[in-house]
Amino acid sequence: MTDPVLVIGAGVAGMTAAVELADNGVKTILIDRKSTIGGNALELYKAFPTDDCFYCFEGNRWRPGIRKCFYRSAMVDQPNIDLKTDTRVKGISGTPGKFSVILDLGPQYVDPKRCTLCGLCTNVSEAFLLASPQCQPQAVSYDPEKTDDGAKKAEDECPTQAINLSAIQTEETVTVSDIVIATGYHEMKPSVVDEYGYGKLPNVITQLELAQMLDPNGESAGALVRPSDGAQVKNVMMIQCVGSRDENYYPFCSKICCVFALKHANIISSERNDSRVSVVYMDIRTYDQHERYYRETRDAGVEFVRGRVSRVESQKDGTLDVHVYDSLLNRYLKFTVDLLVLSSALEPPEAADELLSSLGLNSASGYVGPADPISENEVVAGEHVYACGGALGPAEVPESVNQARAVVSKILQGRK
Amino acid sequence: MTETEEKTGPPVTLIDPIDMTKLDPKFRNDISSMPNGEELSACFACSTCTAACPIANQWDYMPHQLIRMILLGMRDEVLSSKEIWECLTCFQCQERCPQKVRVTDIFFDCKNLAAEEGHVPENVLALGKTLVDKGQLYEVINDWEREDLDLEPEVPGLSIEGIQSILKSTRTGKLVEDGE
Amino acid sequence: MPVYSLYMGCSVPANYPNYEAAMFKVAEALGMNLNYLEDVACCGSPNLRSIDTFGWLLVNARTIAIAEKSGHDIVTPCNGCFGSLKDVLHHLTHHKDDLKKINVELKKMGLEFKGSINVRHIIEAMYTDIGIEEIKKRVTKPLDGVGIAIHYGCHLLRPLDVTEFRPEILQEMVDATGATVIDYPLWKQCCGATVLPVNEQLAIRLARDKLKSMKDAGAVFITVVCPACGNQLDLQQLGLKDSYGEVYDLPVLLYPQILALAMGMNEEEIGLSMNRVPADPILDHLSG
Ligand SMILES: Cc1cc2nc3c(=O)[nH]c(=O)nc-3n(C[C@H](O)[C@H](O)[C@H](O)COP(=O)(O)OP(=O)(O)OC[C@H]3O[C@@H](n4cnc5c(N)ncnc54)[C@H](O)[C@@H]3O)c2cc1C
Ligand code: SF4
Ligand code: SF4
Ligand code: SF4
Ligand code: SF4
Repeated sequence: MTDPVLVIGAGVAGMTAAVELADNGVKTILIDRKSTIGGNALELYKAFPTDDCFYCFEGNRWRPGIRKCFYRSAMVDQPNIDLKTDTRVKGISGTPGKFSVILDLGPQYVDPKRCTLCGLCTNVSEAFLLASPQCQPQAVSYDPEKTDDGAKKAEDECPTQAINLSAIQTEETVTVSDIVIATGYHEMKPSVVDEYGYGKLPNVITQLELAQMLDPNGESAGALVRPSDGAQVKNVMMIQCVGSRDENYYPFCSKICCVFALKHANIISSERNDSRVSVVYMDIRTYDQHERYYRETRDAGVEFVRGRVSRVESQKDGTLDVHVYDSLLNRYLKFTVDLLVLSSALEPPEAADELLSSLGLNSASGYVGPADPISENEVVAGEHVYACGGALGPAEVPESVNQARAVVSKILQGRK
Repeated sequence: MTETEEKTGPPVTLIDPIDMTKLDPKFRNDISSMPNGEELSACFACSTCTAACPIANQWDYMPHQLIRMILLGMRDEVLSSKEIWECLTCFQCQERCPQKVRVTDIFFDCKNLAAEEGHVPENVLALGKTLVDKGQLYEVINDWEREDLDLEPEVPGLSIEGIQSILKSTRTGKLVEDGE
Repeated sequence: MPVYSLYMGCSVPANYPNYEAAMFKVAEALGMNLNYLEDVACCGSPNLRSIDTFGWLLVNARTIAIAEKSGHDIVTPCNGCFGSLKDVLHHLTHHKDDLKKINVELKKMGLEFKGSINVRHIIEAMYTDIGIEEIKKRVTKPLDGVGIAIHYGCHLLRPLDVTEFRPEILQEMVDATGATVIDYPLWKQCCGATVLPVNEQLAIRLARDKLKSMKDAGAVFITVVCPACGNQLDLQQLGLKDSYGEVYDLPVLLYPQILALAMGMNEEEIGLSMNRVPADPILDHLSG
């Protein structure tokens, strides 16, 4: 028997790689450091380019692995996939084709194979949480830091005996033939770019935070409200290229923020009747067919201002005064807005550099660089080491999925 | 923008931004509902129109800026600008616009709105008056020239009342009347 | 023999009877039957459109409706008239709401706009209906090699979806006379005629840039198909000479005058002496 493949990161890219390898008879270990899989695409509401709801991709109906609304998805049920949540890589040794990987497994307080989401535990204890009705694996999570008297009661009364409060951290060493890095990206916290007041002014948020606000399953049930006081949002301003294309932060273009900013602008102007959106930009980079979002948002009345922000001032009534230099008009404009949304840079995830150095891979501004930038396939990061999706740099879902499939075909070829 | 400089004391701020809440957000709708204004909102400020325009270099507001000002709601500034009247109506901007914004047609719409508010340059108004009074822009002065060439002495087929009676009941008539 | 409704407007008859005469002579030779439209109004020019679009639509819709009664296409030698009539035709066939309003008014005059005929520039009618081959057959005194710069005029070419006039039409028509078409960088640029009422200095500078571009490219004379463009390019040469001592000496001929000369007609028939900048270089060329 050949050794299994290790896929690190269970976002869209990692899940796709795992499912397609498993469907081809390859044993796959899929790990994610979080207790819920899905990665960044979890709370995005509608997805470009099809505008499907992220919970249930029309185009992916046939593929239960990606469809998160499925009760039991392939991630849990496909016998060739060994899904380990709350799990990190502690060390890698061995040789290409026969890596020895030490996994650090977090305590498994709730057994996802047993939990039926009955709700008993979340009723009696604050320490249990159902992240989303669509979460995968379909199980509640337990936070030991919030433990209370009810927790013990839940453990005792759980109808399926899924809870084990005395679970402990464990280690496991696995031998794998190939490693797939699918660790995705992280949205930069733009507090460092101090002219926008992120972190100080509550009504200054990021695009990912806006996506979560627009999500019908989110905290505000999809209503667009000011974080400061819950008031209805009437005027939204978006600022592009915050921390991207800036030698002080990240030199690269984050590539998809223009598209998702306009996707959000479209949702706001078409579904939240009275809200007006302005977008302050240096260039609008709606690559390829995504140009349609640019055209549609203009038709929908979204205001585009080419220029940069001079300053943001908080007003007593909860609004923000934003002074913008309009370089096309060569004038300064003053806007009054309820919500300032920053299209913040998409940066490599935490600890990405450790993974790169332990495997001796190339770095491309902190992301996984191709082993041979000129002749090799971009998904080939080293000998028997591959990368796909956001791990290679900012990418949309279809691109991430394509790269995952490229990885799968490489691995299958290698095994023939 | 208002000129707030007082003779006593220095100006209040160095930068006096245009207050967006003081502008007219309906202006863009007014224009886009006029003849050939439909594509107005498609403008993405590429400034191709300005690159194509033979005279923008002489202007305070370039064609792409005028379109921007319409989108932002700067009604007063656009309708009182000299630029819309100096526009040659050469359609070079409109022909090259990558978003099919009918720039020249939109400036015609602006001039109509300006005229509705009574802003028409004197010499343009004079042409309107000529049409109402004489029923034509040019009259035959040297009829001997026509006769030398075996042509009938008057402008052939021209109906003076045709245009006079129409324009008396449309905006031209009103403008000419108000101008007197 | 193709039959047309001829719309003269007021500018050609008042300022350029020589254009009118040459056009008739050439049309007759080519077998085109031109009938003056009767009882039609001045088109009002773009200036009318600027201050009163509705009045402009109505005046020109009236003209088209009158021509529709005879069923023949309208032809006109003036870019201004062509631009106005063609634009109104285009507008009313694409904007049903405005068409309704216009027809309410026209009905009071016993007329109706149906859009059943086309509006065409006389040059395009010659090109399409008679054809380059037929025209060439009638050229007896070809203008061998003489360099002609074409000024098309804005409202002939643009907007293309309205005017449907391709520049090649006039190029081939000039080629047919045996002359050489001179390419020059500012061929698309406006002559400045429209801005005369609001900013004369600007109008002069536009004409100057244009003339300079033609001269630098080696043009011997200029051809136009519009009285306003002709007037501007012709007259401003005299002005530029007086105020700046700049001499261009580029005779400005209406296209039918050129064709007439190439067909062997004489200069009196086509009123060549009325052109302000003397046309001597061409005449020398023809006699030489
Ligand atoms: C606001 C916003 C809107 C967007 N909208 C769209 C859209 O409409 N359409 C579209 O196509 N794309 C959209 N995207 C992009 C989309 O989110 C990404 O393409 C997609 O999520 C990338 O998936 P991934 O699997 O590569 O990475 P991720 O989703 O980032 O997943 C990476 C996973 O790896 C895990 N991980 C990271 N490091 C480790 C580690 N060291 N060990 C173990 N696990 C680890 C993480 O916990 C995570 O679960 C949007 C992005 C943003 C920010
Ligand atoms: S009580 Fe048990 S089955 Fe019910 S939600 Fe909690 S862990 Fe799941
Ligand atoms: S995608 Fe747009 S917002 Fe994002 S970095 Fe590139 S240009 Fe800036
Ligand atoms: S060319 Fe068109 S799209 Fe570009 S700035 Fe001008 S009007 Fe806007
Ligand atoms: S139509 Fe007017 S604005 Fe457009 S290019 Fe000509 S002069 Fe400039």
